[in-house]
Amino acid sequence: MNAAPLDARGLGKRFRREWGLRDCTLTIPQGAVVGLAGPNAAGKSTLLALATGLLAPTEGSISVLGSDPLREPSVLAQVGYVAQGAPLYRSFTVADTIEFARRTNARWDDELVGDVLTRVAPSTKVGSLSAGDRARLALAIALGKRPQLVLLDEPFAGLDPLAGREFLQLLMDGVAETSATVVIASHVIADIERVCDHIVLLTDGGVRLEGNVEELLESHRILMGPRRPLGEIRGVRSIVRERYSGRQLTLLVLVDGPIVDPSWTIERVGLEELLLTYMAPERLPTPKPPERVPLRWHG
Amino acid sequence: MAWVTWRQHRAQVIAIAGLLVALAAAVLGTHLPIQAAYHRDTLSECLPPASRSGCDIIVRHFQGEFDSWATALRVLAALPALAGLFVGAPLFARELEHGTHRFAWTQGVTRRRWLLSKAALLGAATITAGVVASALVMWWRGPFDTLEGRMSPSAFDIEGLVVPAYALFAFAVGVLAGLLFRRTVPAMTATLVIFVAARLGVLKLLRPHFLPPLHRTALATDTGRQTGDWLLSDTLVDAAGRQITAGREDLAVLHAQQAGIDPHAYLVSVGWKRVISYQPADRFWTFQLVEAGLFVALAVAIVLAAIWLVRRTPT
Repeated sequence: MNAAPLDARGLGKRFRREWGLRDCTLTIPQGAVVGLAGPNAAGKSTLLALATGLLAPTEGSISVLGSDPLREPSVLAQVGYVAQGAPLYRSFTVADTIEFARRTNARWDDELVGDVLTRVAPSTKVGSLSAGDRARLALAIALGKRPQLVLLDEPFAGLDPLAGREFLQLLMDGVAETSATVVIASHVIADIERVCDHIVLLTDGGVRLEGNVEELLESHRILMGPRRPLGEIRGVRSIVRERYSGRQLTLLVLVDGPIVDPSWTIERVGLEELLLTYMAPERLPTPKPPERVPLRWHG
Repeated sequence: MAWVTWRQHRAQVIAIAGLLVALAAAVLGTHLPIQAAYHRDTLSECLPPASRSGCDIIVRHFQGEFDSWATALRVLAALPALAGLFVGAPLFARELEHGTHRFAWTQGVTRRRWLLSKAALLGAATITAGVVASALVMWWRGPFDTLEGRMSPSAFDIEGLVVPAYALFAFAVGVLAGLLFRRTVPAMTATLVIFVAARLGVLKLLRPHFLPPLHRTALATDTGRQTGDWLLSDTLVDAAGRQITAGREDLAVLHAQQAGIDPHAYLVSVGWKRVISYQPADRFWTFQLVEAGLFVALAVAIVLAAIWLVRRTPT
């Protein structure tokens, strides 16, 4: 199949009053491990729910592996999706849950599930599993479908760092066999930094930044130098953000050539810093002077 | 999907089966003394045309002894609503409430098939339960039906085909309400309200007119005997056919008494008579078919609406 794993065109979803996602256009390349980053309520979950047909778009269109997930829901058989909080039936045992997935999926691979579930007894109730084990079970079921596309919504929420690391390991081992495309939505960039090779940054319901991680890091630089009026800087395409601290000026810039001005100290930028800078609102609010609270005598 | 449906809903299925077992036990236990009394008094000889004298007393005695039980049985009219409250309403509402639909509906089974399989299997279970309950009640009420008939709502509503039809209807209403309200308790409440409204609406507005009611006239003084018919109205009219209000009737009786005339003879002498409109007992199965058909048709329409809606339901 040559269709993009996930392709959105002018996609928008309005909830009662506000837009959860607006004018979102993006194409996720085949085989990529995509970090879907963004602050809370940026539209990450909405995008994934639209991709699984759980939501219907208000405007625009989304196609998953070449099909409209709402009109042709059969495509979901090839999509492994773990919703936020890994919802599973709490009254089911682990074995029941796997049986459920086996019976509701035509394509099913017991081996992949077995690998993942070596730690928990099959007769354990899902409701009494630890957060880590529950996330592993949900992941195992998503992988058991042998999906071409894996969508994970905040999979690390509630996991301790060790469990998160194991989760990622399982995920990468699982998709290594199937060479599936993976989209991991997370507001904690450190969690996805180690594995993703492609980034989609959502803020306020729109795509703020998208691209290959290496290319993004290669095209951005941090410039530091004494404070000065800003004009054209040779080698800089545009200034993403400027920050003053005392006499010091720090810029995050998009470069299009070598920067020759020796008065700048040039640094490479880390992914987390890059994304956080893009995430921050266009203008930081000016701090208000502290309110004077009149003292009152309580007696 | 059969395994999935069973695994998810086995608690409800077992509870309903348990309820039916309890009903069967109660019916068995109470039916024996009734059956014994029926045979002891040889009530069968009192069925119309009565071949024995003193039947009035015998029947009245029998009814006096067991009517409270028959009345208690009427609470079973509420039984079909349980299918809507505890099987239909949680079907979607619980998934949506707990967010598990995000798990269930993103597997390889489309939502439509998910709904169709569950509706078919649980609907079949509901109908089965309804048939069993109905059969138990009909067997228990056998002696009463032969004496009093089963056309009046107190018997009609808990016997025959309508019981499974009501249950199926309640189930369908519950499914749709769960999909619309997305919370179990509001869905259950809505189901109950709609079920009661539909039942009363059909009972009061439609059922009396499934077939044109029959009319018969009786003497003004006739107290009216039990015939097994469903009495719709019983009004006093004068010789010209105009309806007489209760006040005018009382006044006439008072005048007759003051004039020293026997009131009964007086009412007959001025040509007043009772006009009784009724649905005859022998229309029982026709009416059962019509009413059951009506509720089954409603249930099917509601399930179709749910199937249409589930594809576009936002989550």
